[in-house]
Amino acid sequence: MSSRMDTIWSRLDRKSTAIAEFTLRQYRTRISTWVVMIASVVALLLVLLFYIEAMNTEIEAIDNDGDSFDNDGDGYPNGQEKLLGTNPDEAEDYPIGVEPDPPEKWINEDDINWKSLQEGQNYVGEDDDGDCLEYYDTSSQRDTNDNGIECDIIITVDSLNSTVVIESDFGVDEDPDEDKYGKEAGHRAFILGIGKFGIVYLLGIFLPLFLATGLIREEMSEGTIHYMLAKPIARGEVLLYRMLGYIGITWPFILAVCIGLCLITGFTGPGDGLFRWSDVPVWMSIAWAAMLVSLVYGTIFCGFGIIWKNGVILAILFAAWELGMAFVTILTGGDSSIRYMSVIGWGMIIVDAGAAVGWPDNWQLIEIGLWGGGHGDENWLGEIAYIPLPGAEPLSAFSGSPNLGVSNWLAFVIATIVLIFQGIMAWFIGQTIFKGKEVD
Amino acid sequence: MMPDMTQHGKAHTEQWTPQQNAPVIMFDRVSKTYGRINALNSVSLGISGGVTGILGMNGAGKSTLFKLMMGKVRPSSGAIRLFGVDPWKNPAPYSRVGFVPEHEKMYDWMTAFDFIVTFARLHGMTRIEAEKEANRVLSFVSLSDVMHKRIGQFSKGMRQRVKIAHALVNDPELIILDEPLQGCDPLARTTIMNVIKELGAMGRTVLVSSHILHEIERITEQIVILHQGRVLALGNSHAIREMLDQHPHKIALECDDARELAKSIIKINEVTGMSFATENKLLIETKHLGEVHKQLPSTIIESGRQVTSIDNPDDDLQSILMYLTGGSV
Repeated sequence: MSSRMDTIWSRLDRKSTAIAEFTLRQYRTRISTWVVMIASVVALLLVLLFYIEAMNTEIEAIDNDGDSFDNDGDGYPNGQEKLLGTNPDEAEDYPIGVEPDPPEKWINEDDINWKSLQEGQNYVGEDDDGDCLEYYDTSSQRDTNDNGIECDIIITVDSLNSTVVIESDFGVDEDPDEDKYGKEAGHRAFILGIGKFGIVYLLGIFLPLFLATGLIREEMSEGTIHYMLAKPIARGEVLLYRMLGYIGITWPFILAVCIGLCLITGFTGPGDGLFRWSDVPVWMSIAWAAMLVSLVYGTIFCGFGIIWKNGVILAILFAAWELGMAFVTILTGGDSSIRYMSVIGWGMIIVDAGAAVGWPDNWQLIEIGLWGGGHGDENWLGEIAYIPLPGAEPLSAFSGSPNLGVSNWLAFVIATIVLIFQGIMAWFIGQTIFKGKEVD
Repeated sequence: MMPDMTQHGKAHTEQWTPQQNAPVIMFDRVSKTYGRINALNSVSLGISGGVTGILGMNGAGKSTLFKLMMGKVRPSSGAIRLFGVDPWKNPAPYSRVGFVPEHEKMYDWMTAFDFIVTFARLHGMTRIEAEKEANRVLSFVSLSDVMHKRIGQFSKGMRQRVKIAHALVNDPELIILDEPLQGCDPLARTTIMNVIKELGAMGRTVLVSSHILHEIERITEQIVILHQGRVLALGNSHAIREMLDQHPHKIALECDDARELAKSIIKINEVTGMSFATENKLLIETKHLGEVHKQLPSTIIESGRQVTSIDNPDDDLQSILMYLTGGSV
């Protein structure tokens, strides 16, 4: 009869698989499980429709520098006239013996190739329309940024400080391809937006709200907890293994959702290749963040259910705090320290670290998009307020930096450890309360 | 710890040595209050071996007594020992206990077999061991033929038997059944009573609660009567029955003609008095309830009257309590 003399702390593995398996089967029989999962998928698919729509709509090209216009009406676009040395404002002055260019040629005449940017100084751009060549005669005048190359732009990339400095020779500016940039930026902004807010926050809150709050509470109110508690098993164990069952259903679901979205956006997204492999680390970090966040929330909410029969109210209050923290973290792009007082803040660090690994050029893309090619209106101070390229502002809003003062990989690991620690603390507090709880 | 997915039982085991001489259940001046309500008031009990009936009306403290034993609630004062261990602090002794809760609610989506296997595994059994035990206990409560049906499809009596089977899966030394006969049909009652008697015969300590004396009487002679949180009487049911017999009882009969029926019933020696509540209702008074009940059916048939109901208006437990408390019920 040795089996009857065992302590409760023996054969944990058998008990854990029994309760976890039981919990999984129980979830399968509950309508709420299916409702919350189907509703999440439907909501994500709806948002995805907007994304696919946006990816298939041509972003209207903007002629930032007005080179495609024909001011004097002689049939030659301004840019062609400037380049060939005729006056674009005088109808009688036009290039003789040259066929006029179609205006489209002068709309996006000089794209920014952000992918070829190297660390340090990059010499890009040329004076396609002759603005620089036209006004200045000496080579020193044509090389105001003093790099020995006439009529060009210096883009200085400093990834250590995450800065991009742009100095152009007078008259030289770029007229980037709005469609190309906008789709790349829009694609990334979509992934970060849906990932941080839709998956890490919303899915991370709603799955535990529906699936974890009642994990112990429902058993207590229905009286079926007696079957579990009348066994040689500590209450802390019951809580732990119930959470194991909860993970068993939520983690595969989150992973499946992220893989699905990764495949859809990877194939439909912009880019030269068939599939956007660089998105994979970003999606995986979103999935990992959502898994950890939903585990921590789940343990906390399950504890709320033990404390009070209306524990869902506490859970909603907590979710409101986390919503605030989610906004703070997203809007400050990782510059606030109050986010350390939340669960979601650490989850976002994981996503930001993953994005920095998958898209190392992301911050350059933002900087360049906000610079927009150097076009803009002069404001009352006499400075040029650049007009950002489409997609640059949303991308800038949803992007962030882990800002832990360590490398991205280390930030990823630290945030993971913090979230696991939060989960352990939530379990410990929950089981302490559960142990002292009288069950009727 | 890595789960033992193979389920062949490689986990380490530590020995927990029970106190050999400790009584199975020991209550030492235990009180339990919920707010201002005194659910149990200084109860002292020691039970080891045999079938014991815990008798009391609703709210007498039967369920509280069991919840204290099962470590569900903490005593307000006093000490409880289950195999020498405080159950509130340590659930280890439950490996030797089987508990049948009173609650109606079960996992209706599970089959009886799955239900028992799942909870057997919480005793640390492997899946294979648990399946073997589940087969054994299900045949013990005669549910082998329906064990792969969902519990939701079961009748009240079958559900009650599933609950009992689940409690027996670890071959417990102590079995606690909270109102196991409530709401069961006569056939299920008989089956459950036989199961309980058999467990007693196997040398297990069995506790059964009920609020109906004659049910308990059919199972056991050892009775504890709880009333308003106190142990009112403790002992053999024959002694209690004798006390009862000192005390007049009433039997109400409804029939087509009460006066005609009375002529036949007056012939039963134990009947000490009769009265007519209405034209169709006859009240019989007796001090020997069992004897009258034995003779009543044949007497009625002889009289040739149509009797539509036979009822004991004062429940026998109530009468006992009335007697024991001097009429304070």
